[in-house]
Amino acid sequence: MPYVEESLSPKLEPGWYKNATIYQVHVRTFYDSNGDGVGDFAGLAQRLDYLQELGVNAIWLMPFFPSPLRDDGYDISDYRSVHPSYGTLEDFKSFLTMAHQRGLRVIIEMVLNHTSDQHPWFQESRSARDNPKRDWYVWNESDAKYRGTRIIFLDTEMSNWAWDPISKSYYWHRFFGHQPDLNYDNPAVREEMWQVMKFWLEMGIDGFRLDAVPYLIEREGTNCENLPETHAIIRDLRKRVDDEFPNVMLLAEANQWPADLRPYFGNGDEFHMAFHFPLMPRMFMGVRLEDRKPITEILQQTPEIPATCQWCLFLRNHDELTLEMVTDIERDYMYDIYARDKAMRLNLGIRRRLAPLLDNDRRRIELMNGMLLSLPGTPIIYYGDEIGMGDNIYLGDRNGVRTPMQWSGGWNGGFSNADPERLYSPPILNPVYGYQAVNVLSQKRSPHSLLSWMQHILQIRRSTPVFGSGSIEFIHPANHRILAYIRQLGKETILVVNNLSSAAQSVELDLRRYKGNILIEMFGRNIFPRIGDLPYLLTMGPYQFYWFRLRQI
Amino acid sequence: MSDEFLRQLINVGEVDIVVGVSTHNNAKTIGPVVAAIQAGILKCFPRERVAIINADGGSQDGTTELVEKVSIDDLWREHKVYALRTLHSISARYARIPDPSKALQTILAAADLLHAKSCAFISPESTTIEPDWLQRLVRPIYNENFDLVCPIYVRQRSEGALMRNVLYPMTRSIYGCRIREPYGSEFAISGRLAGDFLAKGISNEDWGRMGPEISMTIMAVAGKYRVCQSFLGAKALVGHGTQDVVSVMRRTVGALFASMDPNFPVWSAITGSEAPPTFGTSTEVENEAVRINRKRLLDMFATGVAQLEPVLGSILPESVLSELKRIAALGLNEFEYPAELWTKTVFEFAASYHKSTISRDHIIQALVPLYRGRSLTFLSENRNGSGEDVETREESLCTDFERLKPYLLESWADRK
Repeated sequence: MPYVEESLSPKLEPGWYKNATIYQVHVRTFYDSNGDGVGDFAGLAQRLDYLQELGVNAIWLMPFFPSPLRDDGYDISDYRSVHPSYGTLEDFKSFLTMAHQRGLRVIIEMVLNHTSDQHPWFQESRSARDNPKRDWYVWNESDAKYRGTRIIFLDTEMSNWAWDPISKSYYWHRFFGHQPDLNYDNPAVREEMWQVMKFWLEMGIDGFRLDAVPYLIEREGTNCENLPETHAIIRDLRKRVDDEFPNVMLLAEANQWPADLRPYFGNGDEFHMAFHFPLMPRMFMGVRLEDRKPITEILQQTPEIPATCQWCLFLRNHDELTLEMVTDIERDYMYDIYARDKAMRLNLGIRRRLAPLLDNDRRRIELMNGMLLSLPGTPIIYYGDEIGMGDNIYLGDRNGVRTPMQWSGGWNGGFSNADPERLYSPPILNPVYGYQAVNVLSQKRSPHSLLSWMQHILQIRRSTPVFGSGSIEFIHPANHRILAYIRQLGKETILVVNNLSSAAQSVELDLRRYKGNILIEMFGRNIFPRIGDLPYLLTMGPYQFYWFRLRQI
Repeated sequence: MSDEFLRQLINVGEVDIVVGVSTHNNAKTIGPVVAAIQAGILKCFPRERVAIINADGGSQDGTTELVEKVSIDDLWREHKVYALRTLHSISARYARIPDPSKALQTILAAADLLHAKSCAFISPESTTIEPDWLQRLVRPIYNENFDLVCPIYVRQRSEGALMRNVLYPMTRSIYGCRIREPYGSEFAISGRLAGDFLAKGISNEDWGRMGPEISMTIMAVAGKYRVCQSFLGAKALVGHGTQDVVSVMRRTVGALFASMDPNFPVWSAITGSEAPPTFGTSTEVENEAVRINRKRLLDMFATGVAQLEPVLGSILPESVLSELKRIAALGLNEFEYPAELWTKTVFEFAASYHKSTISRDHIIQALVPLYRGRSLTFLSENRNGSGEDVETREESLCTDFERLKPYLLESWADRK
C-alpha cells in the first residue's frame, strides 16, 4: 500500500494556484544538512521558515529522483524514490509535512516524455527485441523517420535518433541522446506513468510540473509536437487526477507561442497552468528598449484561457533564458544586449541569472519583479533571485545558474559544512555576487535590502486576490515608456504604472472611467489626488513603478 | 512651439534619430513617403529610437492626418520588416502659411529637445524614396561622426540646371568644398550641427531665413564641420507646373549670396576645392527625351537683357554687359552663353549683392533672365551628350568658377 497520511495534505481550495506565489528550487542547491556537499530534503525542511517569511506559498521542486544526473535530474532512472544524495523517501515525506504545516504547497517535477537510458525500463527495452518492455520506447531500424522534427539541443545533438549498439537499432530522443523518449502509443506506458503520478499524489503533493509535454507522441509527416494524440493523453491524466485527487494542479512546460499553448488548457480539462514563455524575454526587452511595445504586443496576442486556468510567469529559472519564442531581430538584440560574452549563450538562450542580466541595478530588479507580480498570472521566483544572486558562466551547460544558495558570509556561504572542494558546485565567490557580498543573513539585517523589499512586495501582493485572479486592461498613454494597466476583480480595482525608462518620465493617463476615485499607493498607503475629467498626470522616477488601489470615497 | 507639440515631444522622450518632413498640402505624395521612411527606419535602424516629425505649414488637404495615419503594422505585410520598438509620428503646425525657415527651425528645435544624435530631412514629394535612403543619409553620422550628409541624386542630363550652373560651382569655388547638391531636399545633420545652427541663430540671419537648407550646408562647410555626401537614387520630378523660378532663386542663390557677407573671412582665404568623402555608388539612368521650348528660353533671356539693361548696368561692368547684349542678339542655333561669361556674371551679381548697389531682391530677380539664357546653353550642350559629357562640362564650369575667384574678390573689394 502506498503511504497515505490525511494530515499531510490539508484540503486544497479550488483554484488555489491562481493566488499562489511559487518558489522554484532544486533540493541539491538549497541547504546541505549532513555535510556531504549536496543539498538535501532535511536541509530544505530546515529552511522552510525562510520561505514562509519570504512570503511565497508554494514550492516547485526540480527533479529529485534517482538519476545519473547527466541532465540535472531530468534523466530519471527511478520514478518512485529519492536520489540518495538528497535523502530518503521518508525525508521527503517529512519535508512535505513540514511544508504543509507552514501553508506551503509542494509541486514536484514529473518528466513524462523520457527517462534516463539507465532506467531499468530502457535497459530491458534495449536488451532484446522481444522483451515485453521493447515497445515502451520508440525504436526504428533507420534514422530516417520523423524528419520534420526540429532538434531542441542544437549545441549538442545532431539528430533526434541515437544508435543503440546493444539492440542494433535507433531510438528516438527529443532531448539528450541519453534520454530516450517513452512510447506513449503504448497503453502500458500510459498506465505506468499514471501509477507513478498516483504514487506521489497519494503522498500528498499539491501539483505536478509536467516536463516537455508537447513531445509525447510522434507521427510521420508532422513536426511531432502538440499533436492531438498528445492532448488526448493529457486529458486522460487530468481526468484521473480530478477524479481521485481534486484540485491538484497540473502545470505544463511547453515552450510554445501562446496560440500554440492555448490548446494545452483545453476546455479547462487539460492543464491548470502553463508557462508563458514568450512574455519573459519581452519583459527584458521592454526594459532595455525602454518601450512597452514588446510586452503589450505579446500580451495582446495571448489568447483568452478558461476561467479555471492560469498563466505561470517567471523572470528566470533553472534553464537558459530561452529565446526560441522571439523573432530573429529580437533574438539578435537580446544577445547583443544581455549576452555579449559568447560564454553566456547556450542553445537558443542566455544562461544568466536575474541580477547579472540587469547589471545588478536594484531599480531594474525591483521593476522587473514588480511587473512579474502584477501582470496576470502566477509568479515564480527562482531560488536566490530574491537576494540578487549571481551566476558563473564558466560552469558547463546551465550549471552556472544552479550554484549553492548563499545563506551567509561564512563557510561555503552557509550552504554546507563540507570542505569547499566537496560541494556539488563551486559557490559564487566574486566580489560583486559572491556569498560574502550577497547572502540571506546580511540582507535580513537590513530593512532596505533586496530580500526585505521582496518580502514587502510579496506581502502586498498577498493582500489582494486581484493580481492572481483579476482581469487586465491596458491603458495606452502616449508615452511609450510607460506600461500601465488596470487589474480588476469584483469591486476591487488596481492601477499599475511602470516606468520602463532609465530617466524620469511624465505620463498622462486616461482614467476618466474611474472618475471620482482616489488613488491609494499600495506601498506607502499614501493618497493621491482624485481622478477627474482631465488626464491623470503622474511623474515617475527612473524605473519606478506604482501600484494604486482605486477607492470610491 | 505649441503646448500640444511639446506634449507630444514629452511622450516621445529621448531619441537617436529624428526624421523631419516639412509639408504643405502634400496629401498626394505624403503617405507613401512616410511609409518608406518607416520601412527605412525598421530595416536600417531597428534598435534606434526614432521619431518622425512633420512640420506643417497650414495644409488644407489632410496632409497631417495622413502622416499620423501611416501604420507600422502595415510594413510587415509590404516590406517584411518588424518593429522592435514604438515609432512615433508627430505632426505640428508651425504656421498657417508655409515658411521653410520656420519649418526647419521647428524640426531642429524638436530634435534638440529630444537629444537626437542625428536628424534627417526628407522631402514630402520624394516619391522615388527607397527605404535605404535613410541609412545612406544617417549612417555616416552614426558610424563615422560626420555632421552633414548631403545627397547625390541620379539626375537626367537635362535636370538640375540651377544646381549645375550656379549652386554647385559657386559653393565649390567660394567655400572650397565640392558638395554636389548643396541644396538637397534630403540631407542629414548631426545633433551637434543642429544645436549649433539653432544656437547661432542662423535662421534669424538673412541667409538662414532666405534659404534654410542651403544655409545649413554653408554653415557646415564654412564652420569646418565634417561633411560628406551619399548617393541616393533618382530624384523625383514633381510636376509643379509653372515653378516660380524667382522664389527658388531667392531661396538658393539669394541665400548663398547673403551668406558671403558674414563668412567673408572664411571664404576669401580659400583657393581651390576638395571633394568630401562620398558614400555609396552612383547608378546610371537612361537619358529621357525631355521636350524644352528653347525658343521661349531665348526670348526670355533676350527680353530680360533688353528690358533690364539699366538694372544690369548697375550690377555688371561694361565688358560683361556688352557681351550679354551681343549674345542676346544671336539666333537660336548660334546662341551660346559661355562658361567664363556666366561665371563672371554670377560673381558680379554676388559682389553687387554684397554692396547692395540696388535692392538685393531686385538683384536676384535680375539674375533670373540671365539664368534662363545659361540654362538654354546647358540644355543645348547636353541634348545629345552622354552622361560623361555632362560631367566634363560641369567640371569645366566649376574650374572656371575656381579660376576666376580672384575676379570675384576684386569685384567684391573694389568695384563700386
